[in-house]
Amino acid sequence: MSASGWLRLPAPLARMGPGPRRPAALLSPGAGVAAVQVAGKKDRPALLPLDEGELEEQFVKGHGPGGQATNKTSNCVVLKHLPSGLVVKCHQTRSVDQNRKLARKILQEKVDIFYNGEDSPAHREKREAEKKKQERKKRAKETLEKKKRLKELWASSTHVHGETPGGSG
Amino acid sequence: MERWGGMLRVLLSGPGWRGGTGSRAFSSWRRHLPQAGLSATELVNEWTAVFEKEGVPEARESSEYIVAHVLGAKTFQSLRPALRRQPLTPAQLRCIRELSGHRLRRLWHRHPPSYPLGRMPVQYILGEWDFQGLSLKMAPPVFIPRPETEELVEWVLEEVAPRPRAAEPQGGPLILEVGCGSGAISLSLLSHLPQSRAIAVDKGAAAVCLTRENAQRLRLQDRIHIVPLDVTSEGSWAHLLPWGPLDLIVSNPPYVFRQDMEQLAPEIRSYEDPAALDGGEKGMDIIERILALAPRLLKDSGSIFLEVDPRHPELVGGWLQSRPDLSLQLVAVRRDFCGRPRFLHVRRSGAPDGRPVDVQPGPLPAGAPG
Repeated sequence: MSASGWLRLPAPLARMGPGPRRPAALLSPGAGVAAVQVAGKKDRPALLPLDEGELEEQFVKGHGPGGQATNKTSNCVVLKHLPSGLVVKCHQTRSVDQNRKLARKILQEKVDIFYNGEDSPAHREKREAEKKKQERKKRAKETLEKKKRLKELWASSTHVHGETPGGSG
Repeated sequence: MERWGGMLRVLLSGPGWRGGTGSRAFSSWRRHLPQAGLSATELVNEWTAVFEKEGVPEARESSEYIVAHVLGAKTFQSLRPALRRQPLTPAQLRCIRELSGHRLRRLWHRHPPSYPLGRMPVQYILGEWDFQGLSLKMAPPVFIPRPETEELVEWVLEEVAPRPRAAEPQGGPLILEVGCGSGAISLSLLSHLPQSRAIAVDKGAAAVCLTRENAQRLRLQDRIHIVPLDVTSEGSWAHLLPWGPLDLIVSNPPYVFRQDMEQLAPEIRSYEDPAALDGGEKGMDIIERILALAPRLLKDSGSIFLEVDPRHPELVGGWLQSRPDLSLQLVAVRRDFCGRPRFLHVRRSGAPDGRPVDVQPGPLPAGAPG
């Protein structure tokens, strides 16, 4: 993989699936920053968008004019967040475009955890989920205990009233 | 040890293989033959080493795609880590070896092979490739869609989507694609614009065939007419008139400069149709032809979107000015993900949507790459 060096290239991002389209007809990638918004889930705030100006992106460039004149299959995207130094390498899909979007999404979450640590929404969510799971377990256990005690109570009460099924207890 | 030897014989005895004396490539390859029981990750490393030794470009990428494909995934990174560590079956190893052979040079020695030149593009080896999320069949010599062209589709979608379609009796835009190849551009536009219809033309019979096949695979055959047509031949365009005035003309026309054709990598020169690449002396032949035909085929509000060589925006701008009879103007130039000017948007001068008539693209910023 030929090293093409880091490109400071705030390039336009394509749409993220069905959603609002970007502003039309950019004359150069520099015009207009498209900040990535990861849609917040219902009860947690959206992650802070990444500033394209703080990102460096590296693709494998074809030699010469590119386009038709080359046939490169390496669509790996390497994305670096300069302030934190975090790097994401994405080759999940065969599309450069898709890999760029995914790389940003992954980097966004990593940056969030990096700066917010334990307080990051991702961590908070995880902790909440874990907490809920423990609570459910606890309740389930309690319910089981109750049922057990009820059963015993019933068994002993019927015994007291002399209606023991079968042999003596 | 004996079991391994036996396995090796099994692996080597597949069709098309000759043991013993052979080309340098074959014998050095055989020394590196991956053993049975290797995992996907280890196998990728083995084949990468083989490719590198034989001077095959994109050695790692090639072996990753092939191994992933045999394991049912589109990319190696998308394979579950557990799958990557599992030992592969002999059948899988055989399959990988056979596919990988096509990347190597002159692997067969005496036996007449289908592809004697090696360096087959990965997309042809796998027989399929993705474009804008669609899975398309690939077959030589039909031109393989390039990653830059996905951005052409994105641009068209941005320009087209906001427009109100209420006035159109037939719904969505009517699109003409010139030089459809595998059908990548047309089919992805159709899949993103549910009301649209397309006419796709190509002068290559194989391209027409492949586009039809891909249209059927994607169940879009009812919304696309695929027509064998050479736009450079006299009067051919008249065949397009019956479909009515077009909203869009889109094309990734052959735009390679004639002198650059022999610099193309073996993957391209040996397998892809040169007619899909060769744009003439200045790579402008087909571009000029499309632009010359456009006024006769397009609605007043229609647009032309082209992918071109980075040297073309200037050439096209100049050419359009030399052809005032066409009343077309270059309204925008867009760069690809490598920062090279790659895409053009051309409209009629004074197109009725409030755009100023004398909009010209500004000079490219100093130090712009490409």
